[in-house]
Amino acid sequence: MLLNYLKIAWKVLLRHPFYTFITLFGITLTLTVLMVLTSFLDHLFGAHYPEGNRNRSLYITMMMQTDSARESVNTGPYSFQFLKRHAKTLKSAERVSIASMFGFSNSYVGGKRIKLNTKFTDADFWHVTNYKFLEGKPYNDQTIAQGERVVVITDDLKKQYFEESTESVIGKTIEIESITYKVMGVVRGGPPTRVYTYADVFFPYTAPKSNYQNAGMRGGYQAIVLAKTPGDRPEIQAEYDNAIRQIPLPAKENGFTFSVIVAKADTYFDGFLRTFLRSDNEPNRLAFYGIASLVLLMFMGLPAINLVNVNVSRMLERASEIGVRKAFGAPSQTLLGQFIIENIFITFIGGVFALGLSYLIIYYINSSGLIAYADLTINWVVFVTSLGVCLLFGLLSGVLPALKMSRLKIVDALKA
Amino acid sequence: MIRHLFKLIWNKKGAHSLLIIEIWASFMVLFGVLSLIIYNFTNYLQPIGFSYDRVWVVDLSNNQDTVGVAAKNQRIFDMISAYTEVESASRMSNNTPFSANQMNNNVTYNKISAVPDMYETDDNLYETLDLKLLAGRWYRKEDQVSKFRPVVLNKVLAEKFFQDENPLGKILSKEDKKPFKVVGIVDTFKAKGEFMSNAPAIFVQNESMSDWVQPILIRTRPGTDATFEARLVKDIAALAPGWGIEVSYMTESRQNRHKLTLIPVIIFLIISGFLLTNVALGLFGILNLNISRRRSEIGLRRAMGATGWNVTLQILGEMWTLSLFSILIGLLFAVQFPLLHVFDLAAGVYLWAMVAALLTIFVIVTLCAWYPGQQAARIHPATALHEE
Repeated sequence: MLLNYLKIAWKVLLRHPFYTFITLFGITLTLTVLMVLTSFLDHLFGAHYPEGNRNRSLYITMMMQTDSARESVNTGPYSFQFLKRHAKTLKSAERVSIASMFGFSNSYVGGKRIKLNTKFTDADFWHVTNYKFLEGKPYNDQTIAQGERVVVITDDLKKQYFEESTESVIGKTIEIESITYKVMGVVRGGPPTRVYTYADVFFPYTAPKSNYQNAGMRGGYQAIVLAKTPGDRPEIQAEYDNAIRQIPLPAKENGFTFSVIVAKADTYFDGFLRTFLRSDNEPNRLAFYGIASLVLLMFMGLPAINLVNVNVSRMLERASEIGVRKAFGAPSQTLLGQFIIENIFITFIGGVFALGLSYLIIYYINSSGLIAYADLTINWVVFVTSLGVCLLFGLLSGVLPALKMSRLKIVDALKA
Repeated sequence: MIRHLFKLIWNKKGAHSLLIIEIWASFMVLFGVLSLIIYNFTNYLQPIGFSYDRVWVVDLSNNQDTVGVAAKNQRIFDMISAYTEVESASRMSNNTPFSANQMNNNVTYNKISAVPDMYETDDNLYETLDLKLLAGRWYRKEDQVSKFRPVVLNKVLAEKFFQDENPLGKILSKEDKKPFKVVGIVDTFKAKGEFMSNAPAIFVQNESMSDWVQPILIRTRPGTDATFEARLVKDIAALAPGWGIEVSYMTESRQNRHKLTLIPVIIFLIISGFLLTNVALGLFGILNLNISRRRSEIGLRRAMGATGWNVTLQILGEMWTLSLFSILIGLLFAVQFPLLHVFDLAAGVYLWAMVAALLTIFVIVTLCAWYPGQQAARIHPATALHEE
């Protein structure tokens, strides 16, 4: 019986290849856009290499200093000393790592220049992140305390600086801004979209030019707090908020007197929104969600309306077919069943195409080098959900008119 | 004629409401994307106002070294100016062209107040960036003694302050600081690249460039390469150990700036292109089906003496009226953008976007209705009426 329906569905699709194409195009396009978009969002916000612990991490990235009227505002990352005093000491956390924001530098090898992103970190950085060491090992607290001139580099930098050398480069030296460092480890690089952990070369924070000695609250450092479980995070946030409240105010820094400081330990996404919207109040966040969903609705709504439109017109065209089937004694349920199967059939074909297309696009983005070390993947939950939505629209637009028509008098249906 | 078409559409408002929503939504999407494109394009048409090839930016930071910073700064700058590979060198505040840094300050003249981009520079910037002077001159060493700080404005800012008056020699006030005296006018200065709007800009002479660590801009001679760059970095490092030194090429930072603008535009363009193709195909399919349902009606018209062209025109006319109706609804929404100043764009941009979106919709609709219209014209009255 089912096989029979599928056969009919196939014949119906082939009878009007053009309409089939329109319907498939709409479904495929909508699904593909959704898939690529969510895969990109997952790339930005999900827990991936080297921030595999993102789900149980908190990010302390920005401090805002302002006067009570909120007229002048100074915003920026923290100083190393401030984080050492207030973040490193969080008791409810498993580990806390302090690292600088990535900076820029150049290195010169044989008349060629290599652009570098640099980062100064403590030893805990290598526990909080899950960077994979291809060669050597990370620096530890002892190396840092002794102020050794060592670095950890990425495989990409190794390839550029040591000219495709296949041997180990541990113990070899690398010259950056006229200072020589010994290579201690080589890690597999991560994508630059993960700004809190991305760099080409990692220095211990006691290396020259790190400015970890600076007093004051603001500087160039950020902290990543690793909680034992994701559920521990509210407790850590409360502890950090409490530590911030203990700071005597008003205070003065670089000639600017402020009586309010906003300093939070955020989850990755909240932190992103805070930086992006440059604000810490709820309404703005709501407005952002509102605008984002409106744009999405606009872009996704159009193919949906189109699908409904085409489906409705096609069903009207098939009135005579329904008439004939009814005249030969087919009950309404059988007719309905047939149309449902037809709709599911075409939606799934569209789904398969969309999956193929999304794979191609994602493969292209990953391999084109648009984003170094990109690791976009297909999100199956989103795929199944959006396939379900397509099916819903298909059923609403295809089956409802069919239902209405299957209730028509045979004479009227035949006449059409 | 139009009233008649309206009646035809009104009679089938149920069936047409979905079409109207579809065209309305397409119009809105087109309006959004075209506003973005037109905004960037009109910006692109304005000249950038300076020359950036062969210009390098040396960013310095003194880190923990606080001893004799001013003297070191001066020595580094003198050394750089002395290289044979360097045509011209200059120092400015850290909002160098194509960088992410921005500095805005309030400046007032005769109660007209503006918040231009402010660039604190030395006397050489004019030469290093090859700026185009329209009137007056660039500030010089002699200007330092006067009780005003000499400034150069760009044309937009000068027009805002002085309209038709001669701007040279006028005095601008800046809160509690030393007042400014206008000595020259440059054409445009779009520091963030060609896609930036031609925003007001003011160049202020800074007498004490050495006191803080500032970026140094270098115009190199043609053919200078990374070998010189490596030497430069080594020499600076020898003069000031422990300082951070980063050299970047303006051509490269310009490319990065462009990417920031172009990538979103391209993504929106691709997505809306697919959406509109989708809509066009759907429209075409629906119209085709409609024609086959209206065979008897069209047959009757043909039998009553309507020519093939009349029939095609009727189909096209119906679609045009329908589109016009949808676009009118769309315009009601679109007009809110310039009225409520949703984004900080000129009203002209929105206006052009509306016109362009309207034309695009009509072109798409006409293309989609053309073939079904032709098919309708080919219906033979005898066969159509016979079927009935």
